[in-house]
Amino acid sequence: MRYLLQRIGQFIIVFVVVTFVVMCATRIGSKDVVRDLAGGTVGDEVIAKVEADYPYLDKPLVIQYGYWLKDMVTGNMGYSYAQSQSVIDMFQQRLPSTFFIGFWSIFLGLLIAVPLGIYSAYRRDGPVDRVASYSSFAFISTPPLVFAVFLLYFVALKIDTFPVLSNYIAPWDSPVEHFKNFFLPSLTLGLGLAAVWTRFLRADMILTLQSDFIMLARAKGMSPRRILYRHALRSSILSLITSVALQLSGLVGGAVIAEQFFGLAGIGTRLVFAVQQNDILVIQAITAVLVVVVVFVNLVVDLLYAVVDPRIRHARALG
Amino acid sequence: MMTFLKKIRRLHPTTLFASLWLGALTFLAIFAPVLPFVRGYGERVKGAGRFKFGPGADFLFGSDALGRDMFARCVYGAQISLRVAASSIIVGLLIGGSLGLAAGYLRGWIDRVVSILVDILLAFPALIISILIVGRFDVLQANNEAFGWLTRTWSITFVLSLLSIAPIARIVRAQTLSLSQREFVLAARSLGAKNGRVIFREILPNLIPAMTSVVFTGIAILLVSEGGLAFLGYSIKPPSPSWGLLVSENRERLQEAWWATIFPCIMLFVTVLAFNIIGDRVARRFDIREAAL
Repeated sequence: MRYLLQRIGQFIIVFVVVTFVVMCATRIGSKDVVRDLAGGTVGDEVIAKVEADYPYLDKPLVIQYGYWLKDMVTGNMGYSYAQSQSVIDMFQQRLPSTFFIGFWSIFLGLLIAVPLGIYSAYRRDGPVDRVASYSSFAFISTPPLVFAVFLLYFVALKIDTFPVLSNYIAPWDSPVEHFKNFFLPSLTLGLGLAAVWTRFLRADMILTLQSDFIMLARAKGMSPRRILYRHALRSSILSLITSVALQLSGLVGGAVIAEQFFGLAGIGTRLVFAVQQNDILVIQAITAVLVVVVVFVNLVVDLLYAVVDPRIRHARALG
Repeated sequence: MMTFLKKIRRLHPTTLFASLWLGALTFLAIFAPVLPFVRGYGERVKGAGRFKFGPGADFLFGSDALGRDMFARCVYGAQISLRVAASSIIVGLLIGGSLGLAAGYLRGWIDRVVSILVDILLAFPALIISILIVGRFDVLQANNEAFGWLTRTWSITFVLSLLSIAPIARIVRAQTLSLSQREFVLAARSLGAKNGRVIFREILPNLIPAMTSVVFTGIAILLVSEGGLAFLGYSIKPPSPSWGLLVSENRERLQEAWWATIFPCIMLFVTVLAFNIIGDRVARRFDIREAAL
């Protein structure tokens, strides 16, 4: 319990510092914050309206931050004057694309990594393991941008099934179209993730397979399949989850590139556009949401770890 | 001479490949302006426009929309990307390294402050904070006379250095922690060595293998980030080439003129791979555990 509070406290500190720094960053070099917020060259009446909506913009940064935080907590994320759209609407419109890219790339990554990692560990130094370890090393060194180019050239331009530019189509509207539009952007990120996780799972499983309880299971005459999936994978799955959570922050950056490359209208493309226009509230809201998601997932994984594995709980209680 | 050749032959083939590639690339990048077979990166050859030439003897990597030699642009791209990544990693090493060293050796409140700082730096979504800072530095440069020197090269180096501080500080701290508990440090202490002497004469030399590995892997990661930023339009400005920028310039014409997009991609991939191979080899040779994870 004390540990939980400590972690939540840490979470809040990180959130406040990161969002405050981002807010300061949006002000770098700015001559007239009100005008930036209003969207550049606009008439006096818009400026007056912005001033009326956000009367605190001439106060010190810390006070401005306080107002902004209060607005965020009460659910008022602001308004993009440049795009005449409230930030909440923007999220509703843009979030699904980004969510599905993230979800499917993690799914594809695990779909490749779990069987491959297990088999590589089971038949260590066998042909599959060799090929997997060389190719995963090469894949780790492949930037998302390079994956995107190669998938576009060798898949999208050769096979008509996959569009060169993707559109957002909800899976509940048309599962087939959804798959077509999201497969390549997700694979762009999923291949890199798969490589990281294959190596990680292999190393972890090799250690697990050497432990006594596996020896016992083997001595009892249990089938290799059962040993691998029921016993060995179970103890490795926790560290795999941590590894998934650790990749999340990098995934956010990768998603920006995948969206931009395949023309999906997601949060990432919106953010790049907002930075070009210095649409302050949009930048602040998007980074805040992304930081919350990333830090929150890490927090949950960390707590989950402590709940599932008693050894960790005890070690932390002692420390 | 013979022993040198023997040494080379004993190298792992992938290491040999990686070193040769990086050696050749660095050579090309440095001497590009004086080499006769490398054109200027902005030189427009008459009659070569609109992707006229594919890869061939004259245009090794083909020509682009304006008749510029893709090979020359890739070589100058290497110059820019490598320079930015290398200078960023040096800054990161200086700042992150001293922070990590201080935290790991002195412990106490310094360690706590550095750890919090590192945690916060790692919580920033890297790509997002990078485009934000580069974008705002542009405005700063445009609006203020005093910041006229703040070109994209400076902004991008600043951003990449910032990104490399936290991971480096973390690794150095972990290494220093374990080193400072070793017997030779205790021995030096009991002989009356001062902190400065212990740090510079006992700990720092032992950090060198780990640092070498970190520098190579770090450059690989920074090259990837720079490529991503350049693709989004937040790195060096055109007409200066950078691999990511070349991809974003030419990808619309991927179908008709594959060379203009694929070659920069291959350059980026092989270079990142080569840095990773060497980083990995060094780490294995000196048995360095991934302290970052």
